[in-house]
Amino acid sequence: MKKIIRSIQIIALVLTASVCASSAYGQAVSPNLYFNIDWQLNLPVADDYANRISGWGMQGEVGYFLTESFSLGAFIAWHTNNKYIDRQTIYINSSSAVTSDQQHSIYQLPFGAAFRFTPDRYGLVQPYIGAKLGANYSEVSSHLNIFKVSEDKWGFYVSPEVGVTIFFSPEKKFGLHLATYYSYATNKSRVLGYSLDGLNNWGVRIGVAF
Amino acid sequence: MNKKLIIFSWLLICFACQKDPDTSKLDNDFPVLTDHDTSANFNTYTSYYIPDSVLVIDGNERATYWTDSRADEIIGAFVRNMNSRGYTQTLEKEEADLGLQVSYIEDAYYFYGYDDPYWWWGYPGYWYPGYWGGWGNWYYSYPVTYYYNVGSLLAEMVDLRNGAQRADKTLPVIWTAYMSGLLASSNSINIQLATRAIDQAFAQSAYIKK
Repeated sequence: MKKIIRSIQIIALVLTASVCASSAYGQAVSPNLYFNIDWQLNLPVADDYANRISGWGMQGEVGYFLTESFSLGAFIAWHTNNKYIDRQTIYINSSSAVTSDQQHSIYQLPFGAAFRFTPDRYGLVQPYIGAKLGANYSEVSSHLNIFKVSEDKWGFYVSPEVGVTIFFSPEKKFGLHLATYYSYATNKSRVLGYSLDGLNNWGVRIGVAF
Repeated sequence: MNKKLIIFSWLLICFACQKDPDTSKLDNDFPVLTDHDTSANFNTYTSYYIPDSVLVIDGNERATYWTDSRADEIIGAFVRNMNSRGYTQTLEKEEADLGLQVSYIEDAYYFYGYDDPYWWWGYPGYWYPGYWGGWGNWYYSYPVTYYYNVGSLLAEMVDLRNGAQRADKTLPVIWTAYMSGLLASSNSINIQLATRAIDQAFAQSAYIKK
């Protein structure tokens, strides 16, 4: 599974770099293309397994305007959230129990289609609303002393998003991208005595647009 | 500017891989894992026998027995807990309802070589069913998973009374406790942590009671 995830990351890397290298800027290839590369702050919500905000993640997105306002594209993101758990006894099932402190971790890697509605795509400041749909890979793990217990799952992913792209010149070659999102994935995991029925996240993205 | 963007993109992607949690924040206490046979009625047993030594699995092909004062402290912790739960220690194993066998894994080199059907199967000099009487094999009513880790203390409780009634002459193991913590730069066990872990093993096994 690690190899698959690594492959997905490498493919995303190669695609992004290739597009950048061949076009220099999206606007130069086509005025209908846009690219975003963002750093993420992400907070898992709705369960307390690893509900600590972290900046260990990023997102890449490319889109094409099909009309004056609507764009369709693709995205990939990944994020890790960790949380320390004090020493406690967990009853795993009717016969077994474990006592230890833990480091909880949730790693997520969603990817798929990205939709955007941008009312004014010709202004220097371009607010938009969007949605992402796709698949989500997750690894939920617990580190106990030198041991690691983990479970990896796939699920369906959906994420509404609002954001703004701020360009610094009328040519719109380079800009700042800000966004906030909520995401839900259907991944269900069970690690030790903990059960996660779906993954909910809130976060913000700060990055570049071109 | 183009090159800067490309480099920036590459750096963002390269630094956004999965982030393992900081395990240095975890305490040094042993994780304690216990499991038991849920069909066993622990309150029906009266007496127990525990050998006066801890079996040490080390880098030698033949296991050795640990009998110094430090081993006495470990054995003593089991005796103290068993007595406090209302059981009586016997001097002869033939007179006991329960048997307790304690092992310490100092080196895992030979541990990996014997894994069918259980990890100690065929291990020279290790606890074997015949030690306790005329049994030919072990019997577990629950899945057994031991992490073959250096610095682990392992305790198993066998049912000497009801095991004799089994047609297949297998000796039931009705409780296991696995306590592990790699001990810094030395393979020597930390007695204070070990005895605390033994106490915890009993604390999370309230069903062990006369």
